[in-house]
Amino acid sequence: MRIAGRRPDFWTVVTGVVLLVLAILLLIPILRVMLLSFVDADTGNWTLGNYVEVFTRNFYLRGLKNTLFVGVLGTIGACLVGIPLAFFTARFHLWGRVWISTLAILVLVAPPFIGAYAWIMMLGSNGFITNFFERFGIETPTIYGAHGIILVFTLKFFPFVFLMTQTALMAVNKSFEDAAENLGCTPWQRFTKITLPLVFPAISTGAIICFVLSIADFGTPAILGRGFRTLSTIAFAAYRSELGGLPTIAVTVSMIMIAISMLALVVQRRILARRRYASSLTNLPVKKRLAGWKNVAVHVFCHGAVLIAMLPNLVVVYTSFLKTNGPVFVGGFGLESYERMWRQAPMAVGNSFLFALSAVALITIFSALISYVIVRRETKASGSIDFLMMVPYLVPGVVMAIGFVTTFRTGVFGGIGAAWLLILLYFIRRLPYGVRSTTSSLRQVKPSMEEAAINLGAPPLSAFLKVTVPLILPGLIVGSLMSFITAINELSGTLIIYDSGTLTMPVSIYLAVLDGEFGLAAALSTVLLLCTGVCVYAVFRFSENRDSAFL
Amino acid sequence: MASVDIIGIRKLYGDVVALSDINISIASGAFYTLLGPSGCGKTTLLRTIAGFHEQNAGTIAVDGKAIEGLPAYRRDVGMVFQDYAIFPHISVRDNVAFGLKQRKIPRAEMEQRVAEVLDVVQLGQFADRMPHELSGGQQQRVGLARAIVIRPKVLLMDEPLSNLDARLRVDLRAELRRIQQELGITTIYVTHDQEEALAMSDTVCVMHQGVIQQAANPLDIYLHPANRFVATFVGANNFLAVTRQGDGLYLASAGGVVANGGLAADGRPLVCGVRPEVVRVVPGSVPPGDEEVAIPASLASVSFIGREMEVLVRTEADEVVKSFARPDPAVIALQPGSAVTLLVHRSDLAFFEDSETGRRAT
Repeated sequence: MRIAGRRPDFWTVVTGVVLLVLAILLLIPILRVMLLSFVDADTGNWTLGNYVEVFTRNFYLRGLKNTLFVGVLGTIGACLVGIPLAFFTARFHLWGRVWISTLAILVLVAPPFIGAYAWIMMLGSNGFITNFFERFGIETPTIYGAHGIILVFTLKFFPFVFLMTQTALMAVNKSFEDAAENLGCTPWQRFTKITLPLVFPAISTGAIICFVLSIADFGTPAILGRGFRTLSTIAFAAYRSELGGLPTIAVTVSMIMIAISMLALVVQRRILARRRYASSLTNLPVKKRLAGWKNVAVHVFCHGAVLIAMLPNLVVVYTSFLKTNGPVFVGGFGLESYERMWRQAPMAVGNSFLFALSAVALITIFSALISYVIVRRETKASGSIDFLMMVPYLVPGVVMAIGFVTTFRTGVFGGIGAAWLLILLYFIRRLPYGVRSTTSSLRQVKPSMEEAAINLGAPPLSAFLKVTVPLILPGLIVGSLMSFITAINELSGTLIIYDSGTLTMPVSIYLAVLDGEFGLAAALSTVLLLCTGVCVYAVFRFSENRDSAFL
Repeated sequence: MASVDIIGIRKLYGDVVALSDINISIASGAFYTLLGPSGCGKTTLLRTIAGFHEQNAGTIAVDGKAIEGLPAYRRDVGMVFQDYAIFPHISVRDNVAFGLKQRKIPRAEMEQRVAEVLDVVQLGQFADRMPHELSGGQQQRVGLARAIVIRPKVLLMDEPLSNLDARLRVDLRAELRRIQQELGITTIYVTHDQEEALAMSDTVCVMHQGVIQQAANPLDIYLHPANRFVATFVGANNFLAVTRQGDGLYLASAGGVVANGGLAADGRPLVCGVRPEVVRVVPGSVPPGDEEVAIPASLASVSFIGREMEVLVRTEADEVVKSFARPDPAVIALQPGSAVTLLVHRSDLAFFEDSETGRRAT
């Protein structure tokens, strides 16, 4: 018997609003992309022709092959760097461990496309490393093409594998390893037979993130590809060439990208389903002290890996202070690049902050409400919101933006300006960062806190604002900072939506790189890196576990 | 101060019956305890009264007025939580003032009431501390102060002492009871600790599987358990098999009629309950005195634990019987397997229908 006369309670209303917002901003664009892929661009009839074309023409098939190729190899590369790094930092006494993880985190959150073009400045046809070796008549391998992309992916994404594996290694009960040793395992056998399988779930989670991000990455293949096309550059190009008509080929390629990401996730979930290791941390892992050449080698590897990965960012900052004349570096140091940025791209700087901050304001409000619904309300609706929060991770930026444009530029939503579209795009794509951080914070708050407030006479909203929000504030701040970093660095989706009035910093950098204006690009990138660095510092201040806050 | 009437409350979780037709009537100012093992429904009932759960059927009335239409924040029932639920981000004073602010009590009155109630729980000098600077016992005093300062019609306490260590628990339970009596506030108290329930309550209500087993004053609960579950859960108990011959009831393990007449006549399967503290263990074979039953047995083990000795014996019907008694050197010296006799006064035997919640047969 439901008691009559009670109004629907506050959280039921919130749940409804959240579901509505997610339906409009997430589900409809994705459904729209899906439907469009079955439409004939010329006649408007239903057809499977788009898929037939994509799966029969060599151009697309090669793109698919390329995407999987760089995705898989980039992921393997990330594992080859990340797993040893994690093991060394978790099991050996290392000089500068905090420094290593800080650099890894900076690499992780730095704008993704900076890596690509910084490597051009180093190893491109006119790069300074190339030029340096040329003087001695040595030809350095070119950075363009598949191996350059794989190199960038490896160095860009290994921090995911590193940080996740490290966290897991720290949580392996030492008794397991002791038992293995007691039963006669050599250290190597102990590592391969016990430790590695125990941290496999973490490794595979890190690897799957690398893979999904590689598939979705647009900046790197766009800048380094030189004819080597992946699905994201193909989808982007197809969208550009189909402007004016229905972007059916672009959305069909998009669907394939979503399918690959989802397939990867499903496979990983299936593998993990049979491996759940709960263990109590009664016996903490201890760190060993290495000596001699092993010690030197481990240090060289660990510091070398993070330094090389950090190199692109350092190069960019360095380049931004080089004296330029137009696009040409004329030797010596100067602030001309910043002056040009101030002259040519003040709008891009302003827009980036405006859009990112607006999106983050929305994200902060919504992630507080959503995390409450997910953690405290055990209904089907809250379960589906929890599930929907995974979707933005799986949908590449290009795809989401195409969905936005095809949904909101026509029909009932027509007339929404590019600025609003960008804010809403950043909002929906980066919302999961805020929700995840806030959710884990809220899980540590006992439900009795809110119940006590309600029992003392506070209505639900008041109890939430006076008690819950102050208690989850650290998580809320960390989540907002993370979504800010990722929102202000967004490139691929913005490229689809922006117009002359809504240029952002990443877009300006991308255009400057294409024009060979490396000084201007470097100055803009330095501003982005600075924002990112400040946010990372703030996250360190507010989060209890500084490493895992970024995952 | 108010009376509470709970009429026909049912609560289902899917197919699982959490509360089944609960009827309780609590007099104004009474200390009423819900006692039972975990999962018996006591906390569910308390949270239903507080408004955190909605019942599937039934009515809760405070002072004759039904409250189930009110949301939890308008019910005016104070609650003390098992995990204290002291807001960690505001001071002790602000914690206590929280409910008063919610009720828009004028500032001067609010300050006075907060100061008064902090004196009642002996935390006056801690008003400006932050919760993490307080011990568990002090935090729970804040929890109590915060609940009573709003002068609720009813005070609900959900195992408020279970997170505290044993000694503190005993001290604080006396204090809780003192404050409750001073204020005369109707209190519903949930616990799984029978000692706590017996020591504090006007009425103890034993619950099991969502059903009230018995509600009575502590002495009756202990001395006259209404069914076998109550007899087992409150205090320790031995259960001995009963046989029937003609008009008489016999213990399977001893000769001689233990009961006559009606009890034996109606044919229900019965067991005999004997509290360990009424069982005397004596070495060797001893004849029973008047009104006594003698049960021959062999000694299984003796533990001397200071104030008393705990003796386990095995009867000839292969039943294990426990006895608590004053330490007796003659018994403690016995080897396992030695012959002993159990002596029990006939009036200390109780008979129950032979099932988990079998009723007491009289």
